[in-house]
Amino acid sequence: MTSAVPTAPILAEIEAHQRRARRRFRAQSASVWVVLIGGLGIALWATGNINADFIGTWGPYIVGGAWITILLSVTSIIFATGLAILGAIGRLSENAFINGAASLYVSLVRGTPLLVQIFFVYYALPQFGVALPSIPAGIIALSFNYGAYMTEIFRAGIQAVPRGQREAAESLGMPERLVMRRIVLPQAFRIVIPAIGNDFVAMIKDSALVSTIAVQELLWRASKIGTRHFRTLETLLIAAVVYWLLTILFSYFQEKLERRMARGDR
Amino acid sequence: MVNLRRRAPLLLAAGALVLASCTSAANVPAVVCVGESTTYLDWLNGDFQPDSPADITEPSSTAGDLLETVRARDNGNGQLIVSTDPNYAPQSFLQEDGTFVGFDIDVATEIADRLGVGIKFETPDWDAITAGSWSERWDISVGSMTITTPRKEILSFTQPYYYTPAYLAASTRSGVTKVSDLPFTLPTGVEATTLTTDANCAEAIESGRTDFDLWISSGTTIDGAIAAGSPMVKIGEPIFQENLAVAIDKSGPPHAALLFEIDKIIGEMHADGTLKALSEQWFEGADLTTDPSS
Repeated sequence: MTSAVPTAPILAEIEAHQRRARRRFRAQSASVWVVLIGGLGIALWATGNINADFIGTWGPYIVGGAWITILLSVTSIIFATGLAILGAIGRLSENAFINGAASLYVSLVRGTPLLVQIFFVYYALPQFGVALPSIPAGIIALSFNYGAYMTEIFRAGIQAVPRGQREAAESLGMPERLVMRRIVLPQAFRIVIPAIGNDFVAMIKDSALVSTIAVQELLWRASKIGTRHFRTLETLLIAAVVYWLLTILFSYFQEKLERRMARGDR
Repeated sequence: MVNLRRRAPLLLAAGALVLASCTSAANVPAVVCVGESTTYLDWLNGDFQPDSPADITEPSSTAGDLLETVRARDNGNGQLIVSTDPNYAPQSFLQEDGTFVGFDIDVATEIADRLGVGIKFETPDWDAITAGSWSERWDISVGSMTITTPRKEILSFTQPYYYTPAYLAASTRSGVTKVSDLPFTLPTGVEATTLTTDANCAEAIESGRTDFDLWISSGTTIDGAIAAGSPMVKIGEPIFQENLAVAIDKSGPPHAALLFEIDKIIGEMHADGTLKALSEQWFEGADLTTDPSS
C-alpha cells in the first residue's frame, strides 16, 4: 500500500455531505408545504367568502363529529380484522365448502360498491325483519366491506410465513389448530399490521359514506350546517381539514409501527 | 418556458367558453329545483293529489298498539321517537350544541308532553320518511308532511296541524320578478331537477350555480332562505296550499290508539291557541294554523 491518503476521513466526509443534502431536501420540501398551504389559506381568505365568526360558532359542533368518525372507524377495523382472519383461514382451507363460502364473501363484497352495501344494511335488511339503528348499521357495513379486502391481506400474510415454521411445529407433534394459532397467526400478524394500518386510514375517509344513513358524524354535520346557513365552503373546509389531520395523525403512528415491525426482519 | 404564442388558440377557446357560460346565465333555464320526494316535484310532474286524512275513530282497546310500546319505553316513563329533518328552517334546524329547534320540534315536544312521555329525535333523510317502511326506527313524523293520496296508501295521517302555501322563487340574478317574465309555462314547460332536500336548492343558487334559477318550496322555507341572505325573490300568488299533518307508518305495528290520541291532542292544541302561538313565534307573526280553504 503506497497511498498515503487515509480512506476513513474521506468516507466520513462523503457521508456528512449526503446527510446535509438529505436534510436540505427535507427542509425544502417542508417549506414547499408551508408556502403552498399558506398561499391557499391566504387565497381563500382573500376571496372574502370565509366567515370567521361562523367558523367560531359552528366549528366545535362540526369537529365534535370527529369522535363519531373515530368511534366508527376503530370499532369497524376491529370487527373487520376478526372477519378477515376467518376469511383468510377459509380462503386457505382445503375444505371445498368453507373455501367456496370464503371466496364468495370476498368476491361479493369486492364486486359491489360500499355505498350499496351501506344502503343495503340500513334500508333493505329491515325487509327481512332486521332493523338496525344507523350507527350499528354503519359499523356492520364498514366491517363487512373492509373484512373482505383485509381477507386478502391476511391470506397473503399467512402464506408469507415460511413453510419451515409450520413444518417444524408439526414435526414436534403440534395439532394443526394449535400450529395456526400459536405459530402461524402471530407471525402473520406481524407481517400484516402495516397493511391494516393503511386500511384503517382509508376507513377513516370511507366512514364519511355513512353520513347518508343519518349517522351524525363529521360530514353529516358539515353538510347539514352548511346547507342551513348557506356556508358550505366553510363547513366542508372544516370537515376536510379534520379528516386530513386525522389521517396524518394515524399515518404517523402507522409509520412508527411499521418501522418497529420491520426491525425483526433485519 | 411556456410558449404563449403557441398556446394562444387554446387560451382564446377557454376565454370564449367562459364568456359563453356567462352570457347563457342571463337566460333563465327552463329548469326548476325541488327537493326529492316532495309535493312540489309531484306538482311539476302533474301528479299532485292533495288529500285529507281518513276518518279517525277511537279503537276499543289499546292492547298491542304502538301507544303501549311508546308508554312502556324508558322503564315505563314513556318515550316518543319522532323523525325530523334538521335541514328545514324554521321548522327544524340544528343549534350549536347539536340539539334541534323549530316549529315542528316544538309541536312534537308538546305532543309528547300531553301524551305524558319523553321525546327523542331521529334524523333520517326526507325521502326515507315519505317512503314508509320505517321498521320501527321511529314512531311518528312531525315533519310538515303534506297529506296526499299516494302517501295515504302507506302512511296514516292525523288532522293537519298547520297549512303552508307553496311558492315559486327565482334567483335575483335571473331578473325574474313575476310569473309573466318567464319565457315558458309552469309546470308543463319546465324540467325538474331534484336535490336531497328543499334547502339544497337555495344553497345551490346561493353558491352561484347557474343550472337553474327557479325553486318551488313552501312559503315559510323560501322566507327563511331570503332572511338568511339567499339572493332570491318570492314570485306571484301561492301555487297551491298544503295540509301538513303528523304521519305514522302503516307497515309498522297497529297504531290506531296512538293515531287517535295524537289527533285528539292536535285538536286540543288548535282549540286552546297553542298552535297559533307557536306559528306566530316561528313564522314571524303569521298564523298558519287555520284552514285557508274553509
